Amino acid sequence: MAQESTGSEHSHQVRSSSVYLFMVGSYLQMSEGDMAVIKPEAMKSYIWLQTADGSIQQVEEEVAMFCPMIRQDILTGMGSSKNYTISLPRQVNPAIMSLILDYCRFHQVPGRSNKERKSFDEKFIRMDTKRLCELTSAADSLQLKSLVDLTSRVLARMIEGRTPEEIRETFHLPDDLTEEEKLEPLRNTADDPRIRRLNQLYARKRKELKQKDKLKNVEVEEDRVDERSVDDLLSFINGGDEDSKGVSAAKHKKKNHRRKDQSMDSSSINVNKNHMKSDILSSVCCNGDVNNALMQSLGKTSKVQDVANDTFAPEVEFDDGDIDDELDPAMKEELDREVEDFARILNSEWPERMQEILTSGQERRVVPMSMNGDDSLGRFTSANQAAWCLSVHAETLYQMRNNLRSAYSFRFFEKRLLLRTAVVTIQNAL
Amino acid sequence: MAFSFPEEVLEHIFSFVHSDKDRNAVSLVCKSWYEIERCCRRRIFVGNCYAVSPRIVVRRFPEILSLSLKGKPHFADFDLVPEGWGGYVHPWIEVMAEAYPWLEELRLKRMVVTDETLELISRSFKNFKVLILSSCEGFSTDGLAAIAANCRNLRELDLGESEVDDLSGHWLSHFPESCTSLESLNIAYLGLEVNFSALERLVGRCTNLRTLRLNRAVPLDKLSNLLRQAPQLVDLGTGAYSAELHPEVYSKLAATFTCCKKIKSLSGFWDAVPAYLPALYSICSGLTSLNLSYATIQSPDLIKLVSQCHNLQRLWVLDHIEDIGLHAIAASCKYLQELRVFPSDLYGEEPDVFLTEQGLVSVSEGCPNLHSVLYFCRQMSNAALFTIARNRPNMTRFRLCILEPHAPDYLTLKPLDAGFGAIVEQCKYLRRLSLSGLLTDHVFKYIGTHAKRLEMLSVAFAGDSDLGLHHVLSGCTSLRKLEIRDCPFGDKALLANAAKLETMRSLWMSSCSVSFGACKLLGQKMPRLNVEVIDEGGHPESRPDDSPVEKLYIYRTVAGPRFDMPDFVWTMDEESALRLS
Repeated sequence: MAQESTGSEHSHQVRSSSVYLFMVGSYLQMSEGDMAVIKPEAMKSYIWLQTADGSIQQVEEEVAMFCPMIRQDILTGMGSSKNYTISLPRQVNPAIMSLILDYCRFHQVPGRSNKERKSFDEKFIRMDTKRLCELTSAADSLQLKSLVDLTSRVLARMIEGRTPEEIRETFHLPDDLTEEEKLEPLRNTADDPRIRRLNQLYARKRKELKQKDKLKNVEVEEDRVDERSVDDLLSFINGGDEDSKGVSAAKHKKKNHRRKDQSMDSSSINVNKNHMKSDILSSVCCNGDVNNALMQSLGKTSKVQDVANDTFAPEVEFDDGDIDDELDPAMKEELDREVEDFARILNSEWPERMQEILTSGQERRVVPMSMNGDDSLGRFTSANQAAWCLSVHAETLYQMRNNLRSAYSFRFFEKRLLLRTAVVTIQNAL
Repeated sequence: MAFSFPEEVLEHIFSFVHSDKDRNAVSLVCKSWYEIERCCRRRIFVGNCYAVSPRIVVRRFPEILSLSLKGKPHFADFDLVPEGWGGYVHPWIEVMAEAYPWLEELRLKRMVVTDETLELISRSFKNFKVLILSSCEGFSTDGLAAIAANCRNLRELDLGESEVDDLSGHWLSHFPESCTSLESLNIAYLGLEVNFSALERLVGRCTNLRTLRLNRAVPLDKLSNLLRQAPQLVDLGTGAYSAELHPEVYSKLAATFTCCKKIKSLSGFWDAVPAYLPALYSICSGLTSLNLSYATIQSPDLIKLVSQCHNLQRLWVLDHIEDIGLHAIAASCKYLQELRVFPSDLYGEEPDVFLTEQGLVSVSEGCPNLHSVLYFCRQMSNAALFTIARNRPNMTRFRLCILEPHAPDYLTLKPLDAGFGAIVEQCKYLRRLSLSGLLTDHVFKYIGTHAKRLEMLSVAFAGDSDLGLHHVLSGCTSLRKLEIRDCPFGDKALLANAAKLETMRSLWMSSCSVSFGACKLLGQKMPRLNVEVIDEGGHPESRPDDSPVEKLYIYRTVAGPRFDMPDFVWTMDEESALRLS
């Protein structure tokens, strides 16, 4: 008994001096270890904290000092009274703050062993995922690195060994990657020969229109160019059947070989269109489901057969360098949005529609704006449009968007029209 | 409502997610995670260098520090891939040099690396630290000299089993005197002698050296000198382990080894002389890995050595160990995890070593942690396989190579279907399997039914019909690599399971019955596959469509057909198919 009282007396003396030191020390930069001295209740300082929702709370100073962000504020004198609170970041709501303070209260005591701390941590982090995420964000906003590490590791463990779907479920995340992106995100579209040909076609169009621009009056030209661009696009969509009829059979059966630096001429444009079509058909043929149905519809038109069996377009290299037309950012945005809409229409409705079209056989509508009156080709036209659409992946659309954005002599208006036309055409095909 | 984090927090969380598989899963969760993940990814593993182009990699991952690439298919190790097939790393390095000037690590396997490439590497990456070339070829010691001279912070230089054109042993002298960063040096398969004094000085000044694997040209009497400079070594590959019997040399060696308390891994042992083995006894109890696959020592000496290695986890040994040796291992090496027994005499008719299936059975009984096996032998029985399967359901890699093709169960003369069936049924975590012996379509049915975690399957001289291949392709959901040789598999199974091929890394089929027509069709219909026909007998077009191709290599890719093929390799795709039809 005696020993005890002596002991407590002694320790009381020690405590008083440490309290004194503390009070002096709070005006100096002292280490956390110094700060974290157990003081008698009467001498404890409290810090006033305010969360984003306006609620105010008192916290023991040594506990609050454990948070680097709060500590900074305390050292500049803030938080000393109810009227002079320290405002916490918005990520810290009262419930989370309470958790964080529990954490700080435990860990700010210097004497604890590693084992004790680890044990506390393991119990501490047992909470639902939502809370854990909130805690991580809050700890990060308060720069409480040790807690961020702790919660991050836990979250990392929840990610390891899981599939993307499971992770999405755990964290309530949207499934917003397209199928193409999941396959190989940011696929280099320029590497795909089909996309390259699409680019080349656009490049040609651009050049043509640019030349025509120079010769004619703006308004008049707009109308005409508009029509032409619609026509061009449609005939492109239609596989250039009209034009191809005029081209000799010899051209269709031209042997494939790579021709570089070939100069442009209208016949080669047509040949390219045809080959583009055969590309598209082949790409559709690669799709197992549609294969039979499509092949049947193709088989009904011998001309189509020729084209389908035809050799591929030679890889004609074009110089895009000279076409450089700046689009302002607002226009860029508009275009992006339009392409996105276009993509969404295709991607969402397409698979079912395709099946409908192919299984419905005779009941397909002929596109009203079709340039050829030949009924037997009408079906093929729809199918061809279908084929074209099938081959227009999200990547193609991104590429299209990129094309439309950079290096074009098309005016914004024309590009818009091009896009709108494409959408209308495809919607009609649907 | 999504649990959202600020970007830095997500990055921080991802920094604790390490494996490639997990990182890939993270990148597929949603757009924002994809974006963040790709920016903070630091190491990339590309299992097939033709599956993706370097430009795609560079565009997706802006800050990479470590790249691993694999080139030729695995069967290249068995000389089944003709020279010049491909796997050139130079185009990759060119792109990396521009995109990742801070690249630190390159790990290449079965790729063609030229001196030019090595020079480019040494000049382009200012902080280059690790170069690992496993089973590569195409370079000489001149290229190595460039690496030694220019890579100031080189930590690891590992030449693996690469074929190096040995022009001069002086390349080692190109390490500047100021170089002290080396931690790992593996030159075990270099033929020529290296400049020994340069090596000694290098070893002496690199005080952090942990791994040193010498080549055969380093004689035993010089080993002691080297070891004295590096008592901190953890992984040692001796040079030639033979010398004339000199008590001085022996005692010096033994004394040196007693000072090398940290050695955990031993290899080398070319031309090993039994008399010098006892010099190792002092470090045996610390060994976890022992590679005696070049030591033609007989079983009594082997047993004496190995039975002292109580902590051994990995053992590679020749079949000189015999059944009796394996019994001893089963008794002494209770922590053994991996066992590889290589054949000493591949072509001899009469085995002069007494190694049978009993040795493997014994080890499977005695070593509870055994999960990885590569075993060459001359006879096997279903009963033995049943026992092994029952003993070791934790088996993850099981590669059995019965030397004689079509060898049946030697006791019952029946096929080994049931035995392998037991293996796949009991060992639910089996990831890799190599089959051999007399096998019918039944074994493939078992595999398709049970081997759901199987990732790699090697088949030779097995099966009766397409049904076998169909079982595997349709049943093995985790299959990534399938390599087949000399099996009667044709078109039907392949075409029926074409979609499966896009879920796998690669398929190799040689000396099977796949027709050229089927290859064309496959290449035409599957744009995301490269279907390569390898035929040194001239263009398969010159033969009828139904004639079988010599070799077929199919792999999935987002990079399209490659253009660096030699004249005996043809890619089947839409263009060529239409061109040829």
